[in-house]
Amino acid sequence: MSSRGSLIRLENISKSFGKVLANRDVTLEIMEGKILALLGENGAGKSTLMSILAGQMLPDTGTIYLGEKPVQFSTTEKAISAGIGMVYQHFKLVDAMTVAENVFLGQKGGFWLKKKKMSQMVEQLADQYGMKVDPGARISDLSMGEKQQVEILKLLHRKSTVLIFDEPTAVLTPNEAENLFATMKIMVKKGKGIVFISHKLEEVMTVADNIAILRRGEIVDRVAASDVSSTAELAERMVGREVLLQVDKEPVEPRQIVLRLKNLSGPGLKKINLELRQGEILAIVGVAGNGQKPLVEAICGLSKPPSDTVTILGMEWRKFFRKAEWDNALSYIPEDRQGLATCQGLDLLDNFLLTTRGGFTKGPWLRKEVAREKASYLIEEFDIRPPDLDIFAWQLSGGNLQKMVLAREFYRKPRLIVAEQPTQGLDIAATEDVWNLLLKAREQAGILLVTGDLNEAFVLSDRIGVMYNGKIVETFDTDNKEKLDQIPQMMAGLAVA
Amino acid sequence: MEIITIIIPLLAAAVQSGTPILYATLGEIITEKSGVLNLGVEGAMIIGALAGFIVSRYTGSPVLGFFAAGIAGSFATSIHGVVCLWFQGNQVVSGLALTILGAGLANYLGTSYVGLSAPGFSPVAVPLLSSIPVLGPIFFKHDILVYISYCIPPVMCLFFTSTRFGLGLRAAGEYPAAATAAGLNVLAYRWFGILAGGFLMGLGGAYLSLAYTHLWTTNLTGGRGWIAVALVIFAFWRPGRAVLGAYLFGSVMALQLRLQALGTQLPSSILLMLPYVLTVFVLVMSSWRKKTNEEPAALGVNVEPAD
Repeated sequence: MSSRGSLIRLENISKSFGKVLANRDVTLEIMEGKILALLGENGAGKSTLMSILAGQMLPDTGTIYLGEKPVQFSTTEKAISAGIGMVYQHFKLVDAMTVAENVFLGQKGGFWLKKKKMSQMVEQLADQYGMKVDPGARISDLSMGEKQQVEILKLLHRKSTVLIFDEPTAVLTPNEAENLFATMKIMVKKGKGIVFISHKLEEVMTVADNIAILRRGEIVDRVAASDVSSTAELAERMVGREVLLQVDKEPVEPRQIVLRLKNLSGPGLKKINLELRQGEILAIVGVAGNGQKPLVEAICGLSKPPSDTVTILGMEWRKFFRKAEWDNALSYIPEDRQGLATCQGLDLLDNFLLTTRGGFTKGPWLRKEVAREKASYLIEEFDIRPPDLDIFAWQLSGGNLQKMVLAREFYRKPRLIVAEQPTQGLDIAATEDVWNLLLKAREQAGILLVTGDLNEAFVLSDRIGVMYNGKIVETFDTDNKEKLDQIPQMMAGLAVA
Repeated sequence: MEIITIIIPLLAAAVQSGTPILYATLGEIITEKSGVLNLGVEGAMIIGALAGFIVSRYTGSPVLGFFAAGIAGSFATSIHGVVCLWFQGNQVVSGLALTILGAGLANYLGTSYVGLSAPGFSPVAVPLLSSIPVLGPIFFKHDILVYISYCIPPVMCLFFTSTRFGLGLRAAGEYPAAATAAGLNVLAYRWFGILAGGFLMGLGGAYLSLAYTHLWTTNLTGGRGWIAVALVIFAFWRPGRAVLGAYLFGSVMALQLRLQALGTQLPSSILLMLPYVLTVFVLVMSSWRKKTNEEPAALGVNVEPAD
């Protein structure tokens, strides 16, 4: 099994949590100069496997070989000193410090920090790997892509030989992702080994040399990227059944206007005009940070727009929110499922009541038993697992939590839905479910879909609006092929002839 | 000419009454930079004040008393460390307890000393510097403890920005998980923050008993510890701005004393209130400028010990 160029080898790794088997008999080899993609749905055991490799937990059985030598990574420190570095999804960077300070944090050296030398070293290192960062910039001023580069620089500075990327593109713009891939290619050219965890099939196809597919804790398939003919084939291997990420969209006749923005300006927004009718999905696409957030906040009542700019269901913003009906009105599906949409420490019934309590009150009392009945019914209908109203929100997986939020919001029979990145971080099956639910909701409501996933916009929407620098550059029908091709230019703020 | 002869002594008095607050504020800044909120400044100060007084009285050496005060301050805040760092206790509650404990302990142990005096520090004019017009009499005709306090802020700035240890300390206060991932021992840095901070708070207390009064009375600190807690926010956790804030409060305190001595019509209780009114005002003003909020991100958040 061993061969020249093998950096690290996992042999027969198994790990279980209670009765749940997270990894079963996994054998994996990370080669010098190769990018190995680890593909699998949420909960397939990718993260567990990599946590074992990064020294965050020990396997129940199985051995890790460093070269030919068996090793035990009982702490992250040991893994790091063995040359294994992990780029986490949540960056471990100190926001208030500069790039150089973060790279040198915890590194041995003299008493004084030599700032000039630190900056030079960081700059050189970045240069070698085709990255561009200002070593003196504060982390809080950087974009997500730049922050990720700092994480990578930290690892390179520590001379890591194996770099693990955990869903690295989830937070990146398409452009930043391209840059990341370029950097990864340089790294393998210089002899590093890379593990790339993802469930984005196209990316895996473009960047990986080898692909290992993990399903229910086991490696079910190993292929060279060059042997895979299409993403569809890869998807099929991954979920074990054919997934058609193409949902059936029945045309719905647009009816009355449920949302109208007239010259909406404010912090981060410049003269936004748009109309949304019941029965249609309007997708707002764009690179994150171009005004999507303030737009959503102004519509959903989180920030106050200037008067007479936002009209919801025919009512001026102030009048609408003063009345604040719990049903037949506005539902907001926030991007931040764990923070804005739910309270992690409350059980599912209380979370259900967060926005629907208006329907279950009697004087000052909450009619919890009635609510429990309704919520149980919804849990069954939306197939939320585990089907138990007494568990806490934090115990649900991302996909199930999102379904629970959707179930709650759709129960309010909204006529206007604002959905923000509704499928971010969900696996293919859950994404498909959410898409179908949104399409179904469209029959009753107008949906403003803010998404960073162009594919999602193409599949779901009737119209697309592109945002750049606080403005809506253009709005057009989704079947307008010519305009669709120009979206990348519009997103980048390049004038389109 | 007339106005200058009034203002210069007033400003000199401002520096003097600002000095104990400055020590305590700098102490709290170190502690908070490491991520620990210590509301027990008042307690650590008064324990330091008493320890300094007693040691100086029995040894006859104010210098020994001064150091004893620092050590006593560290000892007092180490209680906070045990509660918050070992047992993951609530930092707010533990700090409040330290304040109450310190006040009670100092009152109890100090009862027999009330009204007695101890050898302390007297003003020493700095040659050359003290003859600078205006600035000389304001800043350079004080006791040695004031001069020491001039040196601490620049040293602290250098420590935070230019040393490896300072970088680690700040990381412990900003994002302990990142510090841990970088292989640093967050708890050790926080212990340093608590103990070094307590040392400075104790020195601030000693200034009151050994230089400001030379006497022991009950409730000697009189809420200065609380002012220090507020000043840290006013200073945006920067030692340089802490100097500004401490002297601002010093001037209000000095002014208030002068006005009382001059026998104004204003009731003395209103005048005594001034520093605390200013505290509230300063806090409101600082939170106004949210953009420059430089509060350590993990302030008050306990870290689980690594297992």
